[in-house]
This record gives sequence, structure tokens and C-alpha cells, in this order.
Amino acid sequence: MCNSVVPKTNAHECDGKLYLPFQCKIESVQELTRTEKLFRLSRKDGKPFGHKPGQFMQVSITGIGEAPISVSSSPTRGDYLELGVRKAGTLTNAMHELKSGDEIGLRGPFGTFFDTESMKGKDLLLISGGCGLAPMRALIQYVEDCRKDFGNVTILYGAKSPADVLYQSELEQWQNSDKLSCQVTVDTVSSGTCWDSNVGLITKLIPPLDINADKTVAVIVGPPIMYKFVTLELYPKGLSDKDIIVSLERYMKCGVGKCGHCTIDHLYCCTDGPVFTLDQVASLKGAI
Amino acid sequence: MKILTEKNLKTFLKSAEADYNVRVPINLHDGTRALGKIDEGSLAIAGGVIPQKITNVFFPQMETILTIDSEKVELPKPSVKPLLVIGFTAQDADCLEFIDRFYSEDYRDDIYFNKRDGAVIVCVSGRCGNDGEFLKIAGEKCDLELICDGQNYLLAAYTDAGKALAENADGANADDSVIQQLQKESDSLPADDLELIQAASKLLLEEKVPEEFWATISDRCIACTSCNLVCPTCTCFDIFDRKTDSKVQRWRMWDSCQLDGFMREASGHNPMGKENIRTRRRIHHKLAADVTRWGQLTCMLCGRCDDVCPTGIGIKAVCREMVDKYGSA
Repeated sequence: MCNSVVPKTNAHECDGKLYLPFQCKIESVQELTRTEKLFRLSRKDGKPFGHKPGQFMQVSITGIGEAPISVSSSPTRGDYLELGVRKAGTLTNAMHELKSGDEIGLRGPFGTFFDTESMKGKDLLLISGGCGLAPMRALIQYVEDCRKDFGNVTILYGAKSPADVLYQSELEQWQNSDKLSCQVTVDTVSSGTCWDSNVGLITKLIPPLDINADKTVAVIVGPPIMYKFVTLELYPKGLSDKDIIVSLERYMKCGVGKCGHCTIDHLYCCTDGPVFTLDQVASLKGAI
Repeated sequence: MKILTEKNLKTFLKSAEADYNVRVPINLHDGTRALGKIDEGSLAIAGGVIPQKITNVFFPQMETILTIDSEKVELPKPSVKPLLVIGFTAQDADCLEFIDRFYSEDYRDDIYFNKRDGAVIVCVSGRCGNDGEFLKIAGEKCDLELICDGQNYLLAAYTDAGKALAENADGANADDSVIQQLQKESDSLPADDLELIQAASKLLLEEKVPEEFWATISDRCIACTSCNLVCPTCTCFDIFDRKTDSKVQRWRMWDSCQLDGFMREASGHNPMGKENIRTRRRIHHKLAADVTRWGQLTCMLCGRCDDVCPTGIGIKAVCREMVDKYGSA
């Protein structure tokens, strides 16, 4: 099942019309936090989205513009596509005003993806912070649906506060699962807030872990500051830059390697990334 | 090879208008030398490099990438007549060759190729540069070439499209000795600037240029963005929507990596939020990052950024300073 639903290439199929969005219907809108919503979309032409975990879409609202948004759902879940969207800029503010039944334009999927083929048989350490859980959720769903393909799976997630924790019901489900391990932490808890889990930076969750470096792949998705400090905790566990996968955030305006806004040295984050192994980018100035 | 007087040349270009949208160097009413239609100003083939970004004929400052009204979405269509562009130097032809490659590899940019496909490129070379400068002969980098002997133009055709056009030109046959002499002059042009940027590129690739160098250069940058706006190999653009009462147009417009907001994200994260990082990128991108990605330098030494920079930190000036400080080895 897992292989049959996942496309073999990451090519954006557009019949040579690079900048033309296709229309989608918003099937549902779910409020995740005060600032994040989850949009479930279907293509109006009935075609599959053809996405893979780790890729992104260019979301288009007529008269407002476009913005790159990570895909939050795995293709193993069906023909729909979900986008977890933080209200942060012009496009995402407009998107948060949309309701179920409204239409929206998309281009994509774009970019590289989490290479689940090469992760087969490996233990997975999936570390995300803030809205980095949005793209990570697509990978977690994939791993859940193809569970026998992977070894031990550990999810670590950090948010600023209990109110900022995304996908709370799914996190609870992963925490209660006997098929994977999941730990959640928040940076701070204000007085009067109910929180019975970890408090502190996500880096604190790593040292106690028992990691088999010979068969572990770590995946990190989070705010830029997180990568440096998380990797510093992974090295003592025996992981090297080849064992660490990162998804980097840049403002892709075109998604197809032309507009130049997402360059990291000689790489284009939109076509060479956003998913990189750390050894691809660790030595590039400004990458991490 | 035919030799054309300026009068014959104008007649030749006018006749080409039947099949092409002809763009030629002209003097505008305000004295600006720029590409335009033949009748928009006096013909100004001689005079060297066109001051503006010459590749703007295919990648204009602003252009519509789609139009949306209540009924439908429309993409721009290729023009009925292809472009015939006169005024590229040999270096400009190198720039065009690179951006053709840039816009075609990985994803083919249909908006760019709407204008580029079928276009005929005419280089200008010989004894017609600014202040008597000899312009290098481009050869087969273009379709047609106008090689100035100091007074008239030899018409060299290299491609089928160029040869078909050249057949319509009215002129006497050029003497072989004239052609050979011009080629000899072209071949003997100094390569000092190429050696300079190759040395600078090597320093950058070997990471021998410290951060403080970029701080000193960026202190002199006023972020006017002129360097980007005139550079024929600068391809960065922004995308935005413009609303009118009846429709929405999605545009792309040149953008500049020298602006603070170039990479700023909605989250506030800004990978190029410091001026020294932006200054480094301007030079490093063309002389190191592109060498790694594309296997070639993407500064072709047209000289526009050095001519236009109000504070004297065009790419050649920066390379000169870099090589002086950190050595050419």
C-alpha cells in the first residue's frame, strides 16, 4: 500500500505552465490553536495531489498573492491534502478567513521530500518544534501507515507554551500508542495553566534517549534556532551529519528555482530542498 | 559577407519589421541611449554597451504572469512576431546564453520563453565602442553580427535565421582583408578583467575572504540596487497581485538581493538581514555559488554595475580590492 500511493518523482506537473494554479475546494477547517488552522483540501478536477511527506505547495488567493506552505498530511491517508497554517503574513491572514466550501488555488507539490525508501529498516528520531510539526505530521502519518517498514520510532515535539501545542489529539494518540514513542515539552507554563508533561527546551529530551547510532535517522523540522542546538545534542549520541535530515524554511516566491529568494549558497531551497541531509548544508554559510 | 552603410542598415532593419518586433539601440529625446523601436529615436548602433540590463527584452522589469477575472484565468500569450534585438555585445551574448540556460533547466519558464523563442539576436562589435573602444567580435554566440570597420558595418550571419535575414540586406561584398584585420584586433584585446574575476572567484571558493572584508565593502553600499537592476544575469523577481475593478493580474517584478526584505519571512526570520551578508551574496553568488551550481562564472564582465554604482563598488572594483588584499594565488 505504502509504495503504490506515493509518486515516484517530485516533479510539479503543470503542462509547462509554471505559474498557473489549479483550483481546490476547502473540505474542512479545523482550529488548532489561536493562530493555527488545519485546512483539508480536494482538487476540483478530481486529480490526486501527488505529494510526498516533506514537500510544499504554493497557496494562491486571487488578489492577495501566493505563499509557500508545507504539506501536513501523508498521501497514504487518501486523495485529500492538509495544510497546517499559522496566521503570520498577508496570505495566511487571508487564508484564516476562509471557510469550508470556499475555493483556493494551489501550485505544486514542490521540492524534495523525506526519503522514506532510504529510511526503511532504520530507527527514526523525529524532532520538531513549533509549526515544524506541520510537515513532520505528514511523515509521522506515513510512518504510522507503513509501520512495519521502520524500526523504533521516537517523536519529540516542543512548543512555546501549552496553548501553542499543535495537533493535540494526535499527539495524545501518539503518546498512548504502543507502536511508537512520543514526548512533548513546552518552553514555559504560565501560572494557572494545566500541563502535566515536560517543561523545558526540546534539547533536554535528547540526552536520556537510548539511540542505536548505526541504524538511526534523525529528522529535524523547526524554527531556525533549533537546528544548531538539537544537532549539538545528537552528535554525542554518535549520529553524523549524514544521519540527520533537516527541512529548512525560506520564503519561496516561485517554487521552481527561478525567483532567487530561497538560495542557500549554490542551492535553491525550493528545488534542491527544503529537505536536506545535514551534510549537504552544514558547511554553507547561513544555512543553519 | 556584405558591408552596410548606416543608411542601408536602417533600410534593412525597417524591412525586418515585416516579420519581427525589432528592437535597436536608439537615442531617446532626453539623450538616453536605450533599446527601442526604430522610429522612437535616432539610430544609435555605435556607442558600446547599452546602459540598461539588455536581457530585459526577454525578462522585463514588470510583466503579467496571469490574469484572473470572474470567468477565467488567462496566461500571457507569445507575441505574433518574434523579437529581433540589435545591440548585444559579445559579453551580453554570454549573459543571454546563461539566462537561457537558467530559465530552461529544471523547470522551463514559459513566461520567459514566450518572448525568447524564435527571437533573433544581433551583436554589435568592432570599432564602435564608447570613446573609440574596440568591441570584441561575438562570432557564433549570436544569429547575426554587425562588425563596425569604423564607418560601416559588416554583416556576419551565423545561424539559419540570421542567414535568411542577411539575404535581404543591400550592400557590397566586404574585402576579406578587412574582416581578417578586424578579427585580429578582436583577438588581441586584453583579458585583464577576466583574469581578475577568475582570481577573485578562486579566493571565494577557497574561502580566503574574511567577514571583515564584506563589512568594509557594505559600509559603502547605499542599497540603491542599481547593480542588480542593470545586471544582465540577475534573474531574481518578486511575485504580487494587482487588483482592478474588473480583474486581478499576477505580476512578477525584478527584485534585489541588496534589499533588507529580500529574504525576510512572515515569521521575521531573515537569512540576509545584515548588509554585509547581502553585499557578500551579490559577489559570491556570481563568482562562487554559480560556479559550484552551473560550472561557470555568471559575471560576464559587461561593466554595467561598475559604471552605475554611485559609490564605486561594482563587481570589478570589489574584485580588484579583494585580490589586492588577499592575493591572486
